[in-house]
Amino acid sequence: MHADFNVFDHQVMADVEKVDFTYSDADKYEFEISELYSYTEEPEFTAHQVCFEELAKTHGFEKWTSLSRDSQMRFIVGLQDDLEVTDKEKRIKSVQALLYLIQGVYGECKSRSHMFEVSQHCVLLYLDIGLYSSLVQLLAMEVENSNAALSALRKPAVSITDSKELRYILNILYIMVETCRIASNEKDTSDELSRRLYEATELFKEEMIQPVFGDDPLSVLLFTMVTRFCSGSAPHYPMKKVLLLLWKVVLFTLGGLRDLEKRKNEVRVKHNLPPLTEDMYSVCENMRPASPPASAADLIEHQVPRRGIRAGKRSSLDDSFESGLARDEDDDLMDGLKTNSDDESPPTPPRPATPTVSHRSLPWKPKVRLKDLENFLDHTRQKFVGFEVKNDHNSLAGLPQPIHEGVKVLKQHLHISLSEVQIKREEEIAKNPLSLPELEVESTPAEKLYHAMLSNLPQYMIALLKLLLAAAPTSKAKTESINILSDVLPDEMPTTVLQSMKLGIDVNRHKEIIVKAISGLLLLLLKHFKLNHIYQFEFTSQHLVFANCIPLVLKFFNQDIVAYVNAKNSIPVLDFPDNVLGDHTELTAENIESGDNQPHCWRNIFSCINLLRILNKLTKWKHSRTMMLVVFKSAPILKRALKVRHPMMQLYILKLLKMQTKYLGRQWRKSNMKTMSAIYQKVRHRLGDDWAYGNDMDARPWDFQAEECALRACVDRFNNRRYTSGGYVEPDFRPVDNNILSLLGQNIELSPEFKAHYERWLHLEVFSRQIDWDQVMMR
Amino acid sequence: MKMANEPVPVIRRNRPGTKAKEWCNWEDESFEEMDSTLAVQQFIQQAIRKDFTNVEEILNPPDGQDEGVWKYEHLRQFCMELNGLAVKLQAECNPETCTQMTATEQWIFLCAAHKTPKECPAIDYTRHTLDGAACLLNSNKYFPSRVSIKDSSVAKLGSVCRRVYRIFSHAYFHHRVLFDQYENETYLCRRFTQFVTKYNLMSKDNLIVPIMEDQQTLEGESEA
Repeated sequence: MHADFNVFDHQVMADVEKVDFTYSDADKYEFEISELYSYTEEPEFTAHQVCFEELAKTHGFEKWTSLSRDSQMRFIVGLQDDLEVTDKEKRIKSVQALLYLIQGVYGECKSRSHMFEVSQHCVLLYLDIGLYSSLVQLLAMEVENSNAALSALRKPAVSITDSKELRYILNILYIMVETCRIASNEKDTSDELSRRLYEATELFKEEMIQPVFGDDPLSVLLFTMVTRFCSGSAPHYPMKKVLLLLWKVVLFTLGGLRDLEKRKNEVRVKHNLPPLTEDMYSVCENMRPASPPASAADLIEHQVPRRGIRAGKRSSLDDSFESGLARDEDDDLMDGLKTNSDDESPPTPPRPATPTVSHRSLPWKPKVRLKDLENFLDHTRQKFVGFEVKNDHNSLAGLPQPIHEGVKVLKQHLHISLSEVQIKREEEIAKNPLSLPELEVESTPAEKLYHAMLSNLPQYMIALLKLLLAAAPTSKAKTESINILSDVLPDEMPTTVLQSMKLGIDVNRHKEIIVKAISGLLLLLLKHFKLNHIYQFEFTSQHLVFANCIPLVLKFFNQDIVAYVNAKNSIPVLDFPDNVLGDHTELTAENIESGDNQPHCWRNIFSCINLLRILNKLTKWKHSRTMMLVVFKSAPILKRALKVRHPMMQLYILKLLKMQTKYLGRQWRKSNMKTMSAIYQKVRHRLGDDWAYGNDMDARPWDFQAEECALRACVDRFNNRRYTSGGYVEPDFRPVDNNILSLLGQNIELSPEFKAHYERWLHLEVFSRQIDWDQVMMR
Repeated sequence: MKMANEPVPVIRRNRPGTKAKEWCNWEDESFEEMDSTLAVQQFIQQAIRKDFTNVEEILNPPDGQDEGVWKYEHLRQFCMELNGLAVKLQAECNPETCTQMTATEQWIFLCAAHKTPKECPAIDYTRHTLDGAACLLNSNKYFPSRVSIKDSSVAKLGSVCRRVYRIFSHAYFHHRVLFDQYENETYLCRRFTQFVTKYNLMSKDNLIVPIMEDQQTLEGESEA
C-alpha cells in the first residue's frame, strides 16, 4: 500500500491521466465532416460559393434558401444535366455548385444547426433525383482520366490542384453517405425532414450495395483507386478522401459494430445456439483502467522493499489477488484526485477513498471451447480408464467424482461459436457434396461485398497496409515508397513561419485521419466477414498476415503512445464549418499552438483500439501467429502502451499479452506480476487454460508454413466451391438444367452432317412422334 | 378478317403473313378485361393506335393505376418508338458529319452508356443510349416485375428520360426535315414533352425543343 502511494507520487500526472473516451463506430458528425477537409483546401470554399452564385444568377435567382422546393429541384436537375456535358469547365462548375449546396450553403446561413438542416434537405433532394449514380459515373470517368494521371506523373511534386475534380466529387459523395448514416442511426423520426430522410436512406443503402454500372459497386471502384494509387500509376488520387469514403460506405452498408453484435445473436439463434448475453462495450465502460506498469526507475526503487514483504512462501493465487487489491486502491486514489468519478468537478486534494466492494467479481463469464472439454475428457479417460472414447462428451463411466464435477463445470461454461458451426458445416459439404449440398447462400450486404472484392482482395489488403505504413507516425518521410501527402500539399510551399506551422499540423492531421480510416475499415471488414462466414474472415486475415500486418501494427505502437493519444494536431479556427461561418478569425501563432480544447485526440485513440483489435483478431487461437508476437518482441511495446489509461484499450493489450505469456519465460512473468494480475482481472478466463504458468514450449513446435497452408487449403476449397461457377462440382454431378430460357440461350455447335440432313432428323425425332404439347407446357 | 361481327372470341395476335394494314387490327378492349401481366403496355399501345395525336388521352392513366408502373411502361414505349427515329437518323446522321452529340451549340454531351462516360458521335450516342435504356428497363435487378416497381428503381427513370430526350433535341436542331416528318407520323416528341412535364422527370429549362404550341400554359399548369 505504502509502496503504491509512492509510485503514484513519482509519476507525472499527464502520463497517467485517466482517458475519457467512449468507443463508437465513428466520431460525432461535425468532426467526421470537418476531418474530410485539409486546411490547405480552405480557399476553395469561397470558390465554390462564387461558382454557385454565378450559376444562380443565370438561372434568375439569388438565394437558395428562399427558393421553393420545386424551383430547387429544377435547378439541381439542370446541374445534373450539366454533369454529362463534354465541356470540362462547365462540368466542374456544376459539381462545385452541388458541393456548395450540400455543404450547407454557408453564404446564407448564420448557425451550424441551420447549415446542417439545409444540408440535410439537399441530401434528400439529391437522393430523390438520383444524383448518386450520376456522381459515381462522373467519378469513374475522372478515375480513368489519363491526362490528369500523366500530368501528375510528370510533375516533380504533386499538389492538391491535381486532384481538384476528384476531391469535389468525393466530397459530395462523402457528405451524402455520412448524412445518411447518421439519419439511419437516428431513432427519432418525429419531424417531417428526418422521417423522409430516414426512408430515403433505406433506399440509398440498397442502391449502394448494387453495382453502379457494369459489375462493381462503389466500394470496389474505391478499392481500385487505392490499389492504383499504391502501384504508383495515379499519384494524384486524393487518398485520404478515398479512404474516408470507403470506410463510411462499408460502415453505412454493412452496419456498425454494435449492430453487428445484435445480428450475431440473431444468426446464433438461427443456428440453434444460445444468444450471447454479455455486451463487450458496456462491460468495458464499467471497467476501471489499470494503473500503468511502473517505469524502470520506479521498479529499481521499489522492488527491493516489496520483494522483502513478499519473501515468504506464497501461492501464486495470493500474489495476484494481493496486487489486484493494491491496484484497486491506487485507482480510487487517482479518482479522488482527478475527478469525482462522474461529474466534472475541479480537482480536489487527495483523500483516502472508501474501497469499492462491487468490483470484486470478474467482468467476464469464463468460457470453454468444445475442444477444451474434449481434451479434458480424453486426458482423464486416458488416465483413469486407460483408453479414449472419441465423440462422446457425456459418458463418465469409470471416472472419479471430482472429475464428474469438473465436467459439469466445463459444460456449464461451454461456448460454441458460430465459426465452429460454420467450419463443421463446411467439412460436411466437402464430404457429401451431393447429399448435403450448400443451400442457397443468404445474400447479405457482407456477402455481396466479399463476392465483389474476392478476385482482388489480396491486392486491396496489401495496398491498405502500404498506406498504413506510410501514414504511421514512426515511418520516416524519406523511406516512403508512396507519397500520401499529395492531397495536402499546396501549389506553392509556405514562405512564412506561420504558414509552415499550419502546414506541419495539417500534414500530421492528414496522416492521423488516414490511419483512422484504414484501421476502422479493416476492423469492420474482418468483423463482418467473420460473422458472414469464418473462411471469408480467414481469407482476409491470412492476406493481412502475409502482407506483414502483425509487425506493422507493432511498429506503429513502438512510439510514445501516450503522446500520440494526446496529440493536438488541429487548428479549430480552420475547421469546417467555423472557417466559413461568421467572422474570420485571424490565424495567429497562438491559436495554432493552442490547439483544440479536447483533453485527448479522439481519432488517435480510436485508431489505437482498432489496430489492437485487428491484431487480436489475427492472432486469436493461431499458434504460429502468436509466436510472431513473441518473435517480434511485442511484449515491451504492448506493455508501454498500457500507460494509456483506457479500459478498453488496456483490455485488448492485455489479451495480446495473455496469449503469449507462456512463451515469455519465467523471468518476464516474475518481473511483470502487476501486468499478470491485470490480465487475471480483466481478461476473460478460459477454464483449464494454463496461460500463465504452462510451459509447453517444447511440446508445441511451431511451423508457420504448415499451419497457414492447412488453413489455406480449407479457405481455397471454400472459395472454389462457392464462387467459381461450376469449378468445383464434377460435370456429371451438376444438376440438370431444365429452364427453357437458359436452354434456348445455349450456343450449340451443329455438325455439318447434321446441318445437311436435319430434315430427316426432324422427321424422325419430331414429326413422327406423338407429343402431347399441352402436357409438356403444363409441367 | 372482320372478327368483330362473329360470335367467336377476338384473337389479338398478329399471325405470320399479316398484311401491314391488318396489323393489330382488332377491336379495343377495356382495361378491366385485359388479364395479362402486360395489360398496361397493351392499354398504352391501344390508345396510341386509336389516335396518336391525342397525347392527353394516351397519358391519362386508368383509375387506380400504380404511378411507378405507369411511368415505367410509358418510358418503355418511348424507347421502343424512338428506335424508329434512330433508324431514320442512320440514313442521314453519320459519325463524319455529326461528330458529337450536340443540340444547340453550347451543349455537347458525354455518352453515359460506358463504364467511364466518353464523347461519342451523335448516332453512336443515340444507339448506345437506347441500348442502355433497354438494358436498364429490362434488367432483372431493377425491374424484376412489371406489376409493381420499387421506388429506388422508379428513381432511375429520370436519368433515362434526360438522356433519351437529347436524341429528340439533336434530331430537331440538326436533322429538322427528318424530325418533322417523324413527328407528324407519331407525335412522339410532343407526347414525351408532356410526359416528362406531367411527372416532373425533367426540368423545363432542359426541354429545348419548342414543340408544344402552348409551352407557356403548360409551364403554368405544373407550377400550380
